[in-house]
Amino acid sequence: MSTSESSNYTPDIPSEPITRTTEEIHIELTPNALDSLSATRFVRSPSAGATVLFIGTTRDTFNDMPVSSLAYTSYTPLAMSTLYSIASSMLSKHQLTKIAIVHKLGECPIGEESIVIAVSAPHRQAAWRAGEEALEEAKKRVEIWKLEKFEGGEGVWRANRDGVMGVKADEGKDEKAATKVT
Amino acid sequence: MAPAKAPSGHFSILYFAAASTLTTKSNEHLPAPLEARHLFAKLEEKYPGIKEKVLSSCAVTVNLEYVDIDTEDAEQADLVIKEGDEVAIIPPVSSG
Repeated sequence: MSTSESSNYTPDIPSEPITRTTEEIHIELTPNALDSLSATRFVRSPSAGATVLFIGTTRDTFNDMPVSSLAYTSYTPLAMSTLYSIASSMLSKHQLTKIAIVHKLGECPIGEESIVIAVSAPHRQAAWRAGEEALEEAKKRVEIWKLEKFEGGEGVWRANRDGVMGVKADEGKDEKAATKVT
Repeated sequence: MAPAKAPSGHFSILYFAAASTLTTKSNEHLPAPLEARHLFAKLEEKYPGIKEKVLSSCAVTVNLEYVDIDTEDAEQADLVIKEGDEVAIIPPVSSG
């Protein structure tokens, strides 16, 4: 079975940002470059003494293999609802003031932002913890997939889950590449 | 984004990441009704090898809800996929 067209895999991505925003929560999946400043502005509040911003950028290597490009695809309606549920649970668990989570879809050039998480809370401890936990939960659960294309053209679907194999996108059959949590 | 609505007597199935690589498509329509516990066997018939290579590490959603159909005594072993349902094969995720 040939699955070679997948080395040119172009994910089915929305052409406009998909957002869900309430007073305290902003969730966004977007084909556009991420705007960390606008996420920060969203969470900033006079009642919050601490704002924590996490910016995840795409790395140029995986296990020392040079990565030439990355693309994210998602099951958008489900990913939106999972992100929203993570955000609301962080909000109540850590008594945050506000939280914003924004993820890139489609091609993401090396070194550019793929995820932005901004949280605000009355005090810094809660903000630090919530920022970290929101990221870990997102990496574990949100229905988004990263295709890493290595120099030479080969693509690998990454898996964040520890011990799970990544599948070469242009083989999909017998060859598998080990992946591990970053 | 959303695939065309399933024709009558069919449900939609969406393939992501490794599942779309192996099937070489992002979605298709399959005949309904189908007992959910027979889904993987049905896909294996259509795409030999998919069960071991992809499905064994995948979750399944029906109409955006995760369902547990993989084992004989699974809670939703009796679930029937109906006409018009949207089923998705969810490989291990890799956001961030």
